[in-house]
Amino acid sequence: MGQVMQYLLNGTMNGALYALIAVGIVSIFKSTKVVSFAHGHVIMFGAYFYFTFAVILPGAEFMPDWVAKWEPEWLLAYKEGAMMFSPKAAIAAWVSNLPRIVLGLVGSIICNALLAVVIERLFMRPLLGQSSLSMILCTVGLIWVLEGSASLIWSADIDQVPALGPNFPIRFQLFGDQVFLFSASVVNFVIALLLFAALMLVLRFTRSGVAIRATAEDQSTAYAMGINVPAVFTSAWVVAATTGAVAGAILASRNGLSPTLGLFGLSVLAVVLMGGLDSFAGVFIAAMIIGIMEAFTQWKFGGEYAEIVPYVLVLVVILWRPNGLLGQAEIERI
Amino acid sequence: MITGHYKTAYAADESIWNNWAKKSGLVIALIGLFAFPLFANNYLLLIAGQILIYMIAVTGVNVLVGYTGLMSLGHGAFFAVGAYTAVIAHNAVENLFPLITLALSAGVAALFGLLFGLPSLRVKGLYLAVATLSANFIILFLIRQDWAAPWTGGRQGIETPNAVIFGWELASNTAKYYLIAPVFVVFVLFAQNLFRTRFGRALIAIRDNDHSAEILGISLYAYKLKSFAISAAYCGAAGALWSYFFPAILPEDFSLNMSITLVVCLIAGGMGRTLGPLFGTLLILLIPEILKIISGVFTGGDGNALIHFSSIRDIVFGLLIILFLIFEPMGLVSIWDRFWRFVARWPFSK
Amino acid sequence: MTMKRRTFIKAGAAITAASLAPAIVRAEEKVWRVGGSLPMTGPFATAGQLVAPALTDFTMMVNDAGGIGGKPMKIEVEDSGYVPKNALANFERALASGPLHGYFGDSTGFMELVGPSLTGDKAVMMMSTSFASSLADPAKRPYQFMAGPSYQDQVEILLKDISAKGGKTVALVYSDSEFGRDPIPHARNIAKQLGIKIVLEEVTKTAGADIESHVTKLAQANPEYAILQGYVTGVWPQLIGAARAFGLSTQFMGTFWGMEKVVADRVTEQAGPFLDGYQGVMPYRYFYDQKDAPYYQEVNAWKKAQNADFPGYIVTWALEAYINLLIWKKSMEITIEADKPITADNLMASMRSIRNWDTGGFFGSPVSLAEHKIGQGRVYKYSAETKLFTPVSDWITT
Repeated sequence: MGQVMQYLLNGTMNGALYALIAVGIVSIFKSTKVVSFAHGHVIMFGAYFYFTFAVILPGAEFMPDWVAKWEPEWLLAYKEGAMMFSPKAAIAAWVSNLPRIVLGLVGSIICNALLAVVIERLFMRPLLGQSSLSMILCTVGLIWVLEGSASLIWSADIDQVPALGPNFPIRFQLFGDQVFLFSASVVNFVIALLLFAALMLVLRFTRSGVAIRATAEDQSTAYAMGINVPAVFTSAWVVAATTGAVAGAILASRNGLSPTLGLFGLSVLAVVLMGGLDSFAGVFIAAMIIGIMEAFTQWKFGGEYAEIVPYVLVLVVILWRPNGLLGQAEIERI
Repeated sequence: MITGHYKTAYAADESIWNNWAKKSGLVIALIGLFAFPLFANNYLLLIAGQILIYMIAVTGVNVLVGYTGLMSLGHGAFFAVGAYTAVIAHNAVENLFPLITLALSAGVAALFGLLFGLPSLRVKGLYLAVATLSANFIILFLIRQDWAAPWTGGRQGIETPNAVIFGWELASNTAKYYLIAPVFVVFVLFAQNLFRTRFGRALIAIRDNDHSAEILGISLYAYKLKSFAISAAYCGAAGALWSYFFPAILPEDFSLNMSITLVVCLIAGGMGRTLGPLFGTLLILLIPEILKIISGVFTGGDGNALIHFSSIRDIVFGLLIILFLIFEPMGLVSIWDRFWRFVARWPFSK
Repeated sequence: MTMKRRTFIKAGAAITAASLAPAIVRAEEKVWRVGGSLPMTGPFATAGQLVAPALTDFTMMVNDAGGIGGKPMKIEVEDSGYVPKNALANFERALASGPLHGYFGDSTGFMELVGPSLTGDKAVMMMSTSFASSLADPAKRPYQFMAGPSYQDQVEILLKDISAKGGKTVALVYSDSEFGRDPIPHARNIAKQLGIKIVLEEVTKTAGADIESHVTKLAQANPEYAILQGYVTGVWPQLIGAARAFGLSTQFMGTFWGMEKVVADRVTEQAGPFLDGYQGVMPYRYFYDQKDAPYYQEVNAWKKAQNADFPGYIVTWALEAYINLLIWKKSMEITIEADKPITADNLMASMRSIRNWDTGGFFGSPVSLAEHKIGQGRVYKYSAETKLFTPVSDWITT
């Protein structure tokens, strides 16, 4: 039983990350009716911006030393005598990294938002009014542009970035079995959940949220009602890129950073379709199901089977519910 | 002036080669197609063979995506089924006659097409695209498995046979090209003619509005499934040719990347037109090679320069696709149409 | 649309040049031409971009020293994106534009794809980045070789080392790829022979693996040793880091592609000294260990002369390219000395005749290439403090 809990937890942690990535694709689809195949690569840019602001910039000569390594007296006193890999040492290491982590996150969110505006204005805006197929294909073309640019700007070198939270193992007994978690994963999980929740609140209670929902309902009516639809499109891309920046930072700190990070976006496509393209709640549920099922498959059958879990699940769900778990059926008129 | 033909019957309106320009254009294209190996070296033949095979497959995708309006991101799987069927058939029967292999591969792929097509009545649009994408992953996963390895070679891939016609082994690229080219012509002509029939028009009706089509008495299920089967058969045949053409096949050859490339070729060329897939494939497969040749001229093969050049090449390729979409959203055929409109009305055209 | 037209004109000119080139080059065969494909983009771009400069450096060094048999050499590299089909097109393009005296392949897939077609006048002596066991087969692959032990040999070296240290249990962790699975059946056999028990076989994704689940399974099996195979830049550092943080006492061991100092250093800088104590098999000496390596000293001096800021380290992946090209050069020299024409058959015969050859430091003892591979390697250990891999075993041969 404890074993089951262990994999359930592992799966939930991964699921939250899927949800955070999927949010971007849903937010773009809801307002613009475009599925972005390039979302993984937007995330990759977020990761590289995080790397720039959290690793390259603090190492630059003009930056004060405390940005790269913040070591106030009290921290040194706290760290005194901590064992390697102990929670105390991990927290101390994290605190001394904190300035650059914050710098990295802020920098990557801002830069990625700018990137989204550029993409939307330069590439997506001219295609407005075209069939959604050509807009989707445009995002496919973006994959090459983004991948090439990243490798040109940052080189394809493998890089590492600091984790967002302190990293030490948390152990506890559950149903007589030892269960463990990494604190960094818990932090990532919490961040993902908070962002998701914040986004839902914004959509429900703010004016721009209402504008986005109205546009999602019916673009031309929204236009007629005085909503600035192009601005909604831009903000949808910005929402996707900023959540993507955080997801990118998390992914890079978990898996290392190289231009291949972008490929992660494609498997998340299955999550999005399973949940329903236009439903945040559905996508959240789907992300959790896929994360957990993957962990269990990993446990019982091994990694080669885990890889196709999202695709099998999405196939089954789509056959059962053609618009995903909670997706809205399109009303067709003859 | 090449306009001004007076049609007196429906058949005349439907005829394909209805003026001298089209007729002579066809003849010139055919001569060019079959004379090409006389002037080409091995490298150009490798690229040309690959392009012809892709053109067959993209024509197949066009039947489904362009004419029936069903989105698919899984046609790489049909390609794989065709290629592996050909290899397995050859391993079972030595020196199988290539046309039998082609028919077999197309047939097996068509069966898989029927299977993939089953969700198409319930599932539409992007959801169907992702359903087929999933099927692509699952089929490749099955091919990769260790228990399938005796037949498929598993992850390591498998060596492929050469086609043998009456004791003559088609080993050189030139010989292989001459196997592919006639098959290509037949398949493209078949597609062109398909949409002059009742069946083809039914598919177009489904694309334009499936509910209306159903009211007109078209059985959606039957037609969608048939469309899936035909389009899969095209890819299967292309797969069989692919296995003749390359000395070995690997599961990764037929991954999502191929499925996406097939659709990109179609959209770049123009959907729902016979010439669209041909133009699109030419464009999408040639650009990377041309960019490589150009950058090779600049770098001289120097590794240090290549680090930047290969990234720049990726960017240029992506930008070209995007620019095409922005300026020619209907695909390359619309440039072609404009050109012929210009010529046809000359000297009154502007 | 003007850009498009210009592209077409340029390309047309280039294609014409490419198809006419053979006639020109054949008339005046003045350089030894080596072609190459490297993954400059795609999943292994990291490796490709680090190896590419090595090819250029090697060419310049050889040409500075007077070339081979009095003629200079030239390497023409092209990007493959790690797609075998693209590499094949690159190979054909190189072949079409003049005589080719050697080719540097970029992946197992490409070598398998091109293997059957290397016959007659299309045959070219072919080296590659791959250590796949199927490529070291003089009978089936007469024109392909590897400059080191195959993956099977590497895992065998590790298992022998484990057995020598009295290890009893081992876990095999590998990526779900051809690369990852290559040595696994062989490893099972060897482990059985040596009396080592395989307590876990864990397959992971090639990138972005579910580290927590893997560590959970490792903790349950609790092996003394774990062998990692099939990784280049990712997964292995994260897996070891997580296992270490978890408190597992398992000793992790890697193979060639997962033994790069640059990657280990970056992890140490950003995440902490997790990789301290990591071991693995490396066929070559690391570049900083130059005491008994005259060739390394030579390269180092040359690099220093080119660039005063040269930090004195060349990645192991690039060293593989150096030794491959050195073997090619040696075969060329033997063939030229015997006054035979430079054909793929003669080159490979010369290569097979190499016995007791001192590589100048790459390997601990003299090598022979009769089997199209070099079955030598040493186990190294990483120290997070010195940031160096230091040998913990003698040279082990298979």
